[in-house]
Amino acid sequence: MNCPLETRENAALLVAHAAGELAPDDAVRLERHIAECSACNQFLQRQQALWDALDVWEPVPISADFDRRLYARIEELERQASWWQRLAGPLRPVLLRQAMPIGATAVVLFAAGMLLDRGRVPAVGPQQAHVEMLQPEQVEHALDDMETIRQFDRAMRSENSDSKM
Amino acid sequence: MALDYDAELMLRVKDGDGASFAVLLEKHRSSVIHFVYRMVQNQAVAEELAQEVFLRVYRSRSTYEPTAKFTTWLFRIATHLALNSLRDGKNQKYEERLDHQSDDLPARQVADVRPSVEQSMVYEARLDEVRRAVASLPEKQRAAVLMHKYEELEYSQIAKVLNCSESAVKSLLFRAYETLRARLAYMA
Repeated sequence: MNCPLETRENAALLVAHAAGELAPDDAVRLERHIAECSACNQFLQRQQALWDALDVWEPVPISADFDRRLYARIEELERQASWWQRLAGPLRPVLLRQAMPIGATAVVLFAAGMLLDRGRVPAVGPQQAHVEMLQPEQVEHALDDMETIRQFDRAMRSENSDSKM
Repeated sequence: MALDYDAELMLRVKDGDGASFAVLLEKHRSSVIHFVYRMVQNQAVAEELAQEVFLRVYRSRSTYEPTAKFTTWLFRIATHLALNSLRDGKNQKYEERLDHQSDDLPARQVADVRPSVEQSMVYEARLDEVRRAVASLPEKQRAAVLMHKYEELEYSQIAKVLNCSESAVKSLLFRAYETLRARLAYMA
């Protein structure tokens, strides 16, 4: 047998041997090699020491309410699912039956809209705002009229308040 | 391919058998929690993630197909969640120090007989060193070591969980153990 340490792939044999994973025949063959190979012997001893050292890390205790919390979450999941089923349940057969035609119609309408929108020429002229030119005298008259209305309004209010008193 | 017992149970869960889910939970609860705990090294986060693992198993029951061993599927979910948690740094917010056990947990039983203070201190120091050494490994190597050493998954299973070839797993493990041997040599 070639020395397993010659390649990394074969060196994995020694790791597997330390973990007790080799088939009995393979283990015997490797043991025979190890007995004659000091490098493999040393490697195996170090790997076994590491294996023992890692055993120090024991499992941690699990919270007593782990299952209760999990089942509460599952229950919540089920509740949400049943809520959705109740809501969508009656509509589901309709939705399933009509999904394809509705989807296809929506796509056709969208495409048609896009095509029509692209072919449209922006409107000019008739939709422009109509602007009328005013003379300065017209503006003055309008302001005078507004002031007259405001004074009339004030006079009416003061007259009303006098009559109440 | 002959179905493993767990896969049969999962198929029963698929058919609406809640009792089979309880059996699967009872059987794999510890290994999932311990694996995730050793990955993220935080008890609260580990239990939260383990809950998520079983919740995903339950949620996926209707689409479950036994294409691989059940444990391979289970550890694939667990590894995925643990790696995501490590990348998000979620376990950091609890700020559980490596050398501290969570106060709300019962004290770990080292042996049947009560250890002396000195024995306890030596044990804690060794444990701390092991935890730090494992934590220092790159994520994939860490996951491979934990599945190989503590959960006793086969190389083919680890390969499927980590989505790589068996020879890649052997190489990952070889490098990981090489690092650990160097780091923990004094403990021999």
